[in-house]
Amino acid sequence: MSAAVRVSGLSGGYARGADALRDVEFAAGPGQILGVLGPNGGGKTTLFRALLGELPVRRGDIALPGRPAYVPQTERARLDFPVSALDVALMGAYARTPWYRRVARADREHAAAALGRVGLADHAGATFGTLSGGQRQRVLIARALVQDAEVLLLDEPLSGVDGVSAARIEAVFAELRAEGRTLLVATHDVRQAAEWDRVLCLHRRQIEYGAPAAVLSPETLRETYGGELIVLPGGARAVGVGHHAH
Amino acid sequence: MDLAAPYIQRALLEMLLLAVPAGVLGSWIVLRRLAFFAHAVGSASFPGLVLASAWGIAPQLAALATALGFGAAQEALTRSRRLAPDAATGLLLVAALAIGIVLASDVIEVGAEVDTLLFGSLIGIAPLDVCLTAAVAAGALVLDAALRRTWLATGFEPGSARALGVKPERADRLLLAGTAVVAVVALDAVGALLVAVVLVVPAATVRLLTARLRTLRLGAVGLAAAEGVAAVWLADALDVGAGPALAVIGGSVFALVAVATALRPQAVPA
Repeated sequence: MSAAVRVSGLSGGYARGADALRDVEFAAGPGQILGVLGPNGGGKTTLFRALLGELPVRRGDIALPGRPAYVPQTERARLDFPVSALDVALMGAYARTPWYRRVARADREHAAAALGRVGLADHAGATFGTLSGGQRQRVLIARALVQDAEVLLLDEPLSGVDGVSAARIEAVFAELRAEGRTLLVATHDVRQAAEWDRVLCLHRRQIEYGAPAAVLSPETLRETYGGELIVLPGGARAVGVGHHAH
Repeated sequence: MDLAAPYIQRALLEMLLLAVPAGVLGSWIVLRRLAFFAHAVGSASFPGLVLASAWGIAPQLAALATALGFGAAQEALTRSRRLAPDAATGLLLVAALAIGIVLASDVIEVGAEVDTLLFGSLIGIAPLDVCLTAAVAAGALVLDAALRRTWLATGFEPGSARALGVKPERADRLLLAGTAVVAVVALDAVGALLVAVVLVVPAATVRLLTARLRTLRLGAVGLAAAEGVAAVWLADALDVGAGPALAVIGGSVFALVAVATALRPQAVPA
């Protein structure tokens, strides 16, 4: 299988002389979902910035099939902006729209269809800021669908969303996987990542990469998360890593 | 108001032309939280106006140089990430006013035209001013057509703008520069200290009424035009500057709309 995303020996950071992230090495193929685990500040968003070409890279290489689509954390979007859900989805077509043209009719249809895919066809005209958190997250995913990228980077798309939104988002993930796209999904939910194809554990450097069954050991999670509370795969056992297991 | 009087015709034409960049760029100024910058970039042209008076050069040219310098300094300070954008604006504004005051009070004997440019004048509007405003109105429309998607995507969520294929840095620099240029052409009519009444107040007023970008832009142009015409009438009737007249009208309309929308039971319609 040829890799869609290949990162080798990557180190880089914004501050001079200090790497925000180092020694990252992985390859993910088409149709794979890769869970990116790590504590806050562990380098998940930094890795995405590197893949988007926005992080000063000091060492290593990144190979990608074109520009990836990026779904930011929903709370980063301004709620007071005068945009509808459809307006936001249409932003996914900006890269292929010349400045002197309106967004093409095909792209408008594409945007409406993308909102339908995330279950928000009835909310196309709703102001973005009036939607619920889960609905806003789905609108941002619809925007990424309109970009029609081979690789999608999603920054904690399932954090704090309602059950309906989470189910719909996971259904879209399954469709995208079936279409042969590669998804990198930053998450705090270890159980969820255990159901995906690959797991990448980051704590300012790469701790481990591989199939979930091989990677998600208590030792790796302890090294990844330090003292943060997490949920182990295979059960509802909450484990305070760094302390004793309950 | 004597509509046959050439100075009234020029003033009306100036206000109508000014409504275009005021509404179009004003909408972005309000949405991108640049209202303080818009006010400051006009007021900061004060030292430029003093020097222009002393050296006998065109005040617009000196104001433009000062305003663009202000915008460039603002951009550099903000980009350094060591200062919040509004703190940078405040710092630069104080510096510009201090330089202007020192120059005007101790160094240079300034003429009455500096007063006129600080507070605006109906009589002072020359045919050249109207031509410049027309050119800037056209330029603002082109700038908006070229960059509004970038401004929208960047303002909505800056972190993902580049991933969408737009170039936020260049577009934001041009928004600051465009704001500076509009502030300079506005100062003939409304005065350097009051450019915000045309660049900020109409768009901020319409913003209270709509959650749609297109309505905001068209509404802001319309309101700026209506308030501008009313300001010419009021200024002529009371023999005051057009800037203060526009400030009274614009402020009153904003207050009325703010109270009316606050009393309205429902939120802003979609």
